[in-house]
Amino acid sequence: MLGQQLVNGITLGSTYALIAIGYTLVLGVLKKLNIAHGELFMVGAFAGIALAALGAPLPVNLAAAFAVAGLVAVAVERVCFHPLRHASFLSPMLTTIAFGILLQNVATQMFGSEPSRFPHSAEPQQFAIGSLSISAVQIAILATAFTLMFGLDLLVRRTRWGIALRATSDDPETAAQHGVHPSRITITTFFVSGALAGVAGVLTTLVYSQVTPLIGIRQGLIGMVAIVIGGLGNLRGAMIGGLALGLIETMNDAYFYAGYRDFVIFSVFFAFLIFKPEGLFPAQAGR
Amino acid sequence: MNVYYEGVLASMGINILLALSAYAMLATDRLSLGNAGFMAIGAYVSSFLTVELGWNLYPALAAGACAAAVTGALVGLPVLRLQGIYFVMGTLAFGEVVRTFFQNFEPTGGAYGMRGMSGTSLEMIAAFVAVFVLLFLAFEVSRAGRAAYAVRDDDQAARSIGINVTGARLLALVSGALIAGIAGALFAHYALYIESGNFNFLVSANAVLFVILGGMQTFWGAVLGAVIFTLLPEALRFLADWRLSAYGALLVALMVLRPEGLLTRTFLIRLWRARSGRDAA
Repeated sequence: MLGQQLVNGITLGSTYALIAIGYTLVLGVLKKLNIAHGELFMVGAFAGIALAALGAPLPVNLAAAFAVAGLVAVAVERVCFHPLRHASFLSPMLTTIAFGILLQNVATQMFGSEPSRFPHSAEPQQFAIGSLSISAVQIAILATAFTLMFGLDLLVRRTRWGIALRATSDDPETAAQHGVHPSRITITTFFVSGALAGVAGVLTTLVYSQVTPLIGIRQGLIGMVAIVIGGLGNLRGAMIGGLALGLIETMNDAYFYAGYRDFVIFSVFFAFLIFKPEGLFPAQAGR
Repeated sequence: MNVYYEGVLASMGINILLALSAYAMLATDRLSLGNAGFMAIGAYVSSFLTVELGWNLYPALAAGACAAAVTGALVGLPVLRLQGIYFVMGTLAFGEVVRTFFQNFEPTGGAYGMRGMSGTSLEMIAAFVAVFVLLFLAFEVSRAGRAAYAVRDDDQAARSIGINVTGARLLALVSGALIAGIAGALFAHYALYIESGNFNFLVSANAVLFVILGGMQTFWGAVLGAVIFTLLPEALRFLADWRLSAYGALLVALMVLRPEGLLTRTFLIRLWRARSGRDAA
């Protein structure tokens, strides 16, 4: 029973981790919050559903979510952050709230406010490992999420882009003097951040099978809780924070009462901010 | 008055109160994304008192507002120690904790919400708006008001001339909580039915957007923002299905093109000079 909850919790947590690492990447580079981040999850989920309705297979849906949510994230950067780059962190943050409201309303207009579903082809296949059972969908989620997480970790640690990203995060002016193009780093960071949230949107929708235009509000907040638990701007901290939240949520549902789920999560959030605002792993992006 | 216009005016009045509640905190340079939490406390406490205990509306409203203000003081002490992004997230977390608490709290209906409240009229909402506008007029020229603006403009300098910065911020937060509590109590007894979803993150966010878009240099900006952005979705009805998308696009455009808000101090001074110039002539 406990083992099964762990499997379910890690599966759910891996989708939260994808949301959280994108959130923290942007925060690490710009030191500013993108509150429309949850809406990128929603945009990705709808992009995936729209293609699935046309009969496209899962990898194509994921690729579409990756590309569409990534491009919308770039639009968020160009509209909300770039023109206000010299303002305090509040102006772009509030503009992203407005942009999120815009995305919610456009999605409601295009897909309706009722939940949209993934067209299910067949009953998902179940595999048994000892007393644990794991579905093909769960395996697909775990494989996709962990591949992306480790891939991003490698990118940030080992590539020229990653070095430029970390340099910009530490000190944008010195990085620019050494030939890093700050605008290019910001745009690619936003693309990656949105793309990961978009993939998380499709993966989550595969399990819970429905998505509404307002789902991004909760998912964005969950991402925020995860990055606070992990320490703002810390990439691996965000992954661990996301996995921890997935486990907290499944354990709460299994042993406590599902109705209290968000009350528990947001109480943890509040407690962290008051008692341990630097999170479990206080560090800069990519350390 | 036609029911449609009455409904729009009532929600305008409640939005003005919410904008003033956000403004009270912004006047000391602290942005809260959790005021819907205080609104929820005012709404649920007053509704419980009138529906379950048979209180009259006014004492119930006062009790709801006090409950919100006391919560503001209790939460404010630890949250005001947070800076910048952390303060914003702390208030956001508070709002969500309150909302999810009422979602599960059975004595006030839990997920089913509460009904049976009544008694708020449009005149009553208008009277509360008038009272708070007068209070803010008095506040702006009072010692406390000047202290608040000094804290907003430069809290280090304010501290150096002997202003109690934390005290000013706590007073602002408690006042904001009180106003949001009254807005919630009025809303509950006007809407006749409440559920926890009425007090979600978007309500807090809208309250702040009203102030920022209206202009935060004077409280009239908050009032103007609430008036314009309550009327705007109604004025866009000619766009039919696309009106809410157009509303969202307008919010984004205004934030980017006029980040200082519509109503600025220089505009007010120019208006004042133009008028006194005409009187002299």
